[in-house]
Amino acid sequence: MKKVGEVVLLWLLILFIQNAAGEGYSPPGKPTNISCRSPEKETFTCWWKPGSDGGLPTTYALYYRKEGSQRVFECPDYKTAGKNSCFFSKNVTFVWVNYNITVVATNSRGRAFSDPVDIDVVYIVKPNPPEEVVVNVTEDKDWPFLQVSWKPPKMADTRSGWITLFYEVRLKLENKNKWEEVSAGQRKTLQIYSLRSGGTYEVQVRCKPDHGFWSEWSPSSRVKVPEYFPQERSMWILIVVFAAFILVIFIWMVYMNFHSVKRYLLPPVPGPKIKGIDKQLLKSGKSEDIFSSLVVSDFPPTTSNYEDFLVQYLEVYVPEERELIMDEGKDLQDDSFKTENSTCDNDSGRGSCDSHTLLTDKGGGDKEDGQQSDQEGSQAEADTKSQEEALEEELLACSHENLQSSNISNEKEKVKSWPSLFSPLPQYSLSPVNRPNPPKTGQQHCLSDSLFTPNSMPSYFTQPGPSTRKGFRSNYWECSFDHKQSHPLHPQSAAHEHLQAQNDLNTAHVDYMGAPLDVHVLNVRPSEYVEVQRVSVEDGVLLHPISPSQEDSRTLSHQTEDYSRVRMVNNDNGLLLLQRDAIEEEKSMCPYQEDVVSRASITPTLQNSVTGINTALPILDEMAASGYIDTATMFGLPTH
Amino acid sequence: MQQKSEKRQLGQRRNRLRTCRTDKRTMAQRRISGGKLFITVVYLVAMCRAVPVNDLLDRASQRSDKMHSLSTLLTQEMDSHFPPYGRMQMPRPADCHTSALQTPNDKEQALQVSESDLMSLARSLLQAWVDPLAVLSTSAITLPHPSKSSISSKIQELQEHSKSLGDGLDILSGKMGPSAQAISFLPYTGGTDLGQDRVTILNKFNFLLSCLRRDSHKIDSFLKVLRCRAAKLQPELC
Repeated sequence: MKKVGEVVLLWLLILFIQNAAGEGYSPPGKPTNISCRSPEKETFTCWWKPGSDGGLPTTYALYYRKEGSQRVFECPDYKTAGKNSCFFSKNVTFVWVNYNITVVATNSRGRAFSDPVDIDVVYIVKPNPPEEVVVNVTEDKDWPFLQVSWKPPKMADTRSGWITLFYEVRLKLENKNKWEEVSAGQRKTLQIYSLRSGGTYEVQVRCKPDHGFWSEWSPSSRVKVPEYFPQERSMWILIVVFAAFILVIFIWMVYMNFHSVKRYLLPPVPGPKIKGIDKQLLKSGKSEDIFSSLVVSDFPPTTSNYEDFLVQYLEVYVPEERELIMDEGKDLQDDSFKTENSTCDNDSGRGSCDSHTLLTDKGGGDKEDGQQSDQEGSQAEADTKSQEEALEEELLACSHENLQSSNISNEKEKVKSWPSLFSPLPQYSLSPVNRPNPPKTGQQHCLSDSLFTPNSMPSYFTQPGPSTRKGFRSNYWECSFDHKQSHPLHPQSAAHEHLQAQNDLNTAHVDYMGAPLDVHVLNVRPSEYVEVQRVSVEDGVLLHPISPSQEDSRTLSHQTEDYSRVRMVNNDNGLLLLQRDAIEEEKSMCPYQEDVVSRASITPTLQNSVTGINTALPILDEMAASGYIDTATMFGLPTH
Repeated sequence: MQQKSEKRQLGQRRNRLRTCRTDKRTMAQRRISGGKLFITVVYLVAMCRAVPVNDLLDRASQRSDKMHSLSTLLTQEMDSHFPPYGRMQMPRPADCHTSALQTPNDKEQALQVSESDLMSLARSLLQAWVDPLAVLSTSAITLPHPSKSSISSKIQELQEHSKSLGDGLDILSGKMGPSAQAISFLPYTGGTDLGQDRVTILNKFNFLLSCLRRDSHKIDSFLKVLRCRAAKLQPELC
C-alpha cells in the first residue's frame, strides 16, 4: 500500500511539474530599448533588449518601415552586429529618411511587439574611435612633451566632408585616477606639455561628428616620460637677482646708518670719567694708584678766592686791534672776569646786555636820572673826576662783594674772560654777580645795539622791566657805581650809564647762561657796542671824559655818533674805553689815553685809537647820539 | 552671441562681395576717366579677392551648423514637455513642404551632385523656410507650452541665422555660376494658423520643427561637402 501511495504521489508530482512547466510557456516579453547607431552615416545598426522569452525559444524579428511608404521590410542582417541586433547595410540605408522600426519577439506561445521607434540615420551617428593613436615623447631642451597623433576611423569619410569629426584627447598618469581632457578640434595632432618627470602616461583619443554622439575612447597608449630636471633657470635667475638686489639695499642701508645701528646694537658703555683717574691705571689694576688719584687735593675748595672758579669771558671786538692780549693777565682776566656779568656777551643781541632800561631800573632812578640827565651829563661831568674815583672804588668794593655773593649764587655761570682785557676790573668781574638768580631772566640789558657785531647776543637777555634791572650789567654797574659813588653818582647818572655801558660792553660777552664764551680775539669785528638804556629817549651813554673839558668836547662831539669802546679794564679798575676808529676826534684823546693805557698797563698792542679814559668816568666817552659804547673789551677804571 | 557675431561677419563679407560686384558694373557703365577707372578697378579687384571662397564657405557652413543645432535644441525642448502619447495618437502629418525637392539620399548620391547643384539645393531649402519660420515665430509666442519663451527666442535666432546665411549664399552662388543661383520655389502652404486646440497646435508645431531640423541638416551637410571640395589648400579640415 505504501508503495502504491508513493508511486501515486510521485506521479502526481511529475504531473504537477509537467503542468507547471507547461503552463509556464507564454508569449515572449516585449523587446525593449531599441537603439540604433550609425558609425559613418552610411550604415546603421539597431540593438534591442529582449524581454522574457516565456520559457520557449523565441525569435526576434525587426521590421521597419520607411517614411512615406507602407511597405514593411525586415532586417536584412541579424548576425553582423551580434545578438539581438540588426545591421542595415549601405544598400538599405537612406539618409534623411525616417525609419519606423519595430522588433517582434515570437515564440510558440505568441509574439510580442516592441514599441516602434523612429530614427533618422543622420541623427544617430556615433563614429568609431580614432585609430592609430601614436604618442611620442619629444625631447626639447630638457623640456619633453608628448606628441599625440591619430587617424580618423576608417569608416568615417571625412575627406569628402560627408562627416566632420571633432577630436578629444585625454591622458592620465598610470597610477592615478584622474583624466585630463584636451580638446583638439578637427586637428589630428596634439602636443601636451608640463609632464611629470619620469611618469608614465596613458593617452586616449575619441571623436564626435558635428551632430552626433561621442565615440568610445581609443585604447590606451602608454608612454614613459624620461627623467629630466625642470631647470627653470629663468626663475632661479630672477630669484637670485632679486635676493642680491635686496641684499645690496640692505647693506647700503646698514652702511648709511652704521653708527646708529651700531649704537642701537651695541650701546656705548660709558667709561669711567672720574677726574684724576686714569683708565689705563684702572686697567693696570694698581689699587693704590687708583685710590690715590681719587683723592683730589683741592677739593673741597679751600681757597676763598672764588674767583678761581668763576671764569668769565668778555668778548670785546676791537676793530683795529688785531691781537688780543690773551696771554697777559689771563689770570687777571679770569679773576676779573669770572664774575662778570655774564648776561652780556658779544653774541647776544641788543637785548642781551644791560639795556638802558635795565640800568635805569637798577639804579632805582639813578640811571634814569642819569639817562635823563644824559644831556645834563656834561654838567655833571664837572664833578666826574672825583666821582670817577669814587666810582672806581665803589666798583672795586662792589665787585668784591658781588664776587663773593656771586660765587655762591652764580656758580653755574661760566664766564670767559675777555682776551682783550688788559686789566680786568675785579670788581667788574664780580659785579655781575649781582645779577639775580636765575640768570635766565635775562635781566641784563645790554647796551649793545644793533651796531654790535652780528654775534647774537644771547637771546635770553630780555628787556627787563624796570624792576628787573638787576641784570648783570646793571647790577654790575650800579653796584660799582653805587659803591663808589653812592650819591655822587646820582647826579652823574650819565656817568653811571657810561660805566654801565662800558660794563655792559665788557660783560656783554659774559655768558649769561653759564656756557663759557669763547674768547674773542681782537680780530673779530670789533664793533661791540653797549647800549646804554636810559630812561630818557636818548639812548646814549655819556662818557664822562677824564677832563671836563675833554669830556665836554668829547661828549659834544660824540653826542651824535661816537662810540666808545671799552677797551679794557685794568687791574686798578681802570676803565679803558676805546673810541671808534671812525671818530677821529677821539683820537685826540690818544695821548691821554695812552697815559691811561700806560697806567692801565696796556700793552703796546693797542694800536687803534684807543680812547682810554683813565678814570672811570672820564674815560668813558659818551657816544651820546648813538648812545652806544663800543666797549671792545672790558674797561678798567684806571687807577690814578 | 557667438552666432550673431559670426553672422554679422559673414554678412559683412558677403555685402562686401556684393558691393564689389555691383561697383564693378557701375564703374564699367559710367566710363570714368582712364586713370580713375584703372585705379578703381585695381582696388575692386583687390577687394574682391579679399575674401576667398574657401573662407566664405567655411563661414557659411559654420552658420548652417549653428542653425541645425538650434533646431535640434528646439525639438528636444518641445519633446521634454510634450506628452509622447499625444503624438503617437495623432496621425502622422503630411510630408514637409520641402519634400518635393529632390535631394540625395545617401552618400554616393550626395557626392555625385555638383557643387552648383548642391549650392542651389541649399539655397532653395533655405529660402523655403523663410515664411515658415515667421509662422513659427508668431505661433511660439502663444504656444501652449511651458518653455514657449525659450522656444520663441530660439526661433528668432534661427530667423537671423537664416537671413544672414541666405545673404552669404547669395554671394557665394554668384561666384559659382548661374546654375548655383537657381532656386527651386517651395512655397509653404500651411497657413499662418497652426490650429485651434492645444494638441493640434502643438502637433503642428512639432511637425514643423522636425521638418526644419531635417532641412537645416541638409543645408549643413551640403555646405560642408562644398567646403571640403573647395578646401584643396587646407586638407587638414577635411
